[in-house]
Amino acid sequence: MTSIILLSIFGILNLFVGFMKSKKALMPAVLLFLAVSLGATMFDWNQPQSYFSNMLSTDNFSVGFTAVMVVSTLFILPFSRSYVVAENSNLAEYYSLLLFSLVGGIMMVSYENLLILFVGIEIMSISMYIIAGSDKRNILSNEASMKYFLMGSFFTGIILFGIALLYGATGAFYLTDIAAAATNMDPATSPLLLMGLLLVLIGVTFKIGAAPFHFWTPDVYEGTPTVFTSYMSTVVKTAGIAAFYKLMSAAFGGVYDQWFPTVVAITVLTLLIGNIGAVAQNSMKRMLAYSSISHAGYLMIALTSFNDRSENAILFYSLAYAVATIAAFGVLKYVSDERGSDEYSAFNGLGKTNPLLAFVMTVAMLSLAGIPLTGGFFGKLFLFSAALEQDMVWLIIVAVLMSAVGIYYYFRVIIAMYMRDAEGTRIAVDPLATFTLISLVVLTVLMGVVPGLFNNLL
Amino acid sequence: MTGNFFYFLTFLTLFAAIGVVASKNPVYSVLFMILTFFALTGHYILLNAQFLAAVNFIVYMGAIMVLFLFVIMFLNMREDTEQHKPLLSKIAAAIAGGILFVVMIAALKDVDTQMKATAVFDSQIGMVENLGKVLFRDYLLPFELASVLFLAAMAGAVMLGKREPGEQNRF
Repeated sequence: MTSIILLSIFGILNLFVGFMKSKKALMPAVLLFLAVSLGATMFDWNQPQSYFSNMLSTDNFSVGFTAVMVVSTLFILPFSRSYVVAENSNLAEYYSLLLFSLVGGIMMVSYENLLILFVGIEIMSISMYIIAGSDKRNILSNEASMKYFLMGSFFTGIILFGIALLYGATGAFYLTDIAAAATNMDPATSPLLLMGLLLVLIGVTFKIGAAPFHFWTPDVYEGTPTVFTSYMSTVVKTAGIAAFYKLMSAAFGGVYDQWFPTVVAITVLTLLIGNIGAVAQNSMKRMLAYSSISHAGYLMIALTSFNDRSENAILFYSLAYAVATIAAFGVLKYVSDERGSDEYSAFNGLGKTNPLLAFVMTVAMLSLAGIPLTGGFFGKLFLFSAALEQDMVWLIIVAVLMSAVGIYYYFRVIIAMYMRDAEGTRIAVDPLATFTLISLVVLTVLMGVVPGLFNNLL
Repeated sequence: MTGNFFYFLTFLTLFAAIGVVASKNPVYSVLFMILTFFALTGHYILLNAQFLAAVNFIVYMGAIMVLFLFVIMFLNMREDTEQHKPLLSKIAAAIAGGILFVVMIAALKDVDTQMKATAVFDSQIGMVENLGKVLFRDYLLPFELASVLFLAAMAGAVMLGKREPGEQNRF
């Protein structure tokens, strides 16, 4: 709650900082705002509280996911330095929209009432529709914004319809009341409840980009400026999967048997489409978009298995995925800005011209592929062991096979970097971004060597 | 009397809603949509929700739909400039939509909403006073946080609409 208030105020303050002639103060200001919000969030650790007649509650679950989101944003910001250098006149608005969308994200992980979930999803999505179109002169960015907006509004309508049906079936918006009504289900209204659940489920899976509601992801991710793509594929996804898990566990845990087939079908479909779709791509950015679909699938394995390990597995995986993805997008931004293309071929010979960038990219790809000694390996291990407890061996086999497919497309960029001849010259990277990239690598390796530091926190 | 009026309004709503989708001319679509909202306003009055009826009438029918009409007239859309979707995607959309429709009817036909406790139902719940009490007491937090949503939308609209330095005015 404190972080929601702080981030809202900081978002407004930041718009005023933007009035200053020089744009140099903006990035340090936003970094400071985020650090303060992170500190305020951590105060709530181990101190569960509920606010405004239990509309919203903070517990370790919400604090953990809020921390992942704020830390991801902190890591993403340094890569927006090119906007500062170019004195982009809209920089203050970009940053404020990110802060506002974080408010929505925090609402999505700490809601106790479906209305808060809905308002949270809307705050986050509307900020993202605008951010996707922030590169106004670029036709791809316009397309991304338009597509995201039209499809997102449509699915917002579906969520709202689902919430209305749930209200009709249970007479409540509170998760606890819905859970009570769902467990001793009244046969007269149960079709209403299940229909509502299905529609809300469809809406939320759209927001996390799971198949078959993934079709917007590649185009939107490709058109959005790279810095904001990394925000979309990490923070938005983390908020979405946490909200999804909270909804299913707090409100519909009692009707697990009813939604299990639907969710497991979506999971398998997402894994297949995400990984096989990524193989066919030639653009690194589109590949990362498909890879984000496939990672939504891995995260949903924990949801499907739905036991006491799921929460921790999702938190660990979200962090590992976010750290590796931000590093990958960070390197991609420098390469594509310098070489004017985000195809694999733009990475040719990067190992010789920029050993550091190439190394960071390699670690990020290894982590995303789930190779040992990186965070991604333990992330997958925890997810699979949660599923194993539920005896879903066949699901793990599908997931492992798909990870093997993943190795193919993640290694393509590594091969391009180290085995092809250099085409471009050395790419200049500013010190702050270098520091961020190195911290991301350290964090990834740390998660892969001593996973105990980050596991079983909740 | 009220029952007949309900069926009339429902017929009008569905008729106008189908008209929105079916008419070729976008201006007709907007006019049908205004009719849909008008019929919905009637439904709100039947439910004794005067405040919602007034808001629906003024904001949706008045402001937003007029805005729609203006935008469509500015865009100058005509039938011959409209891009036609390929037949395959039309068929696919019809099948997907039809399946959803059938599933919903099949699932919801057995629902018995059983007129929950008509005796204790407060018929004044839709009045401005009661609505205000609920909004500012029970639902204060979502109500206030909606302001963040509007702030984000406003900042974004200004950002997207603002003329960049050196950009020509095209209209």
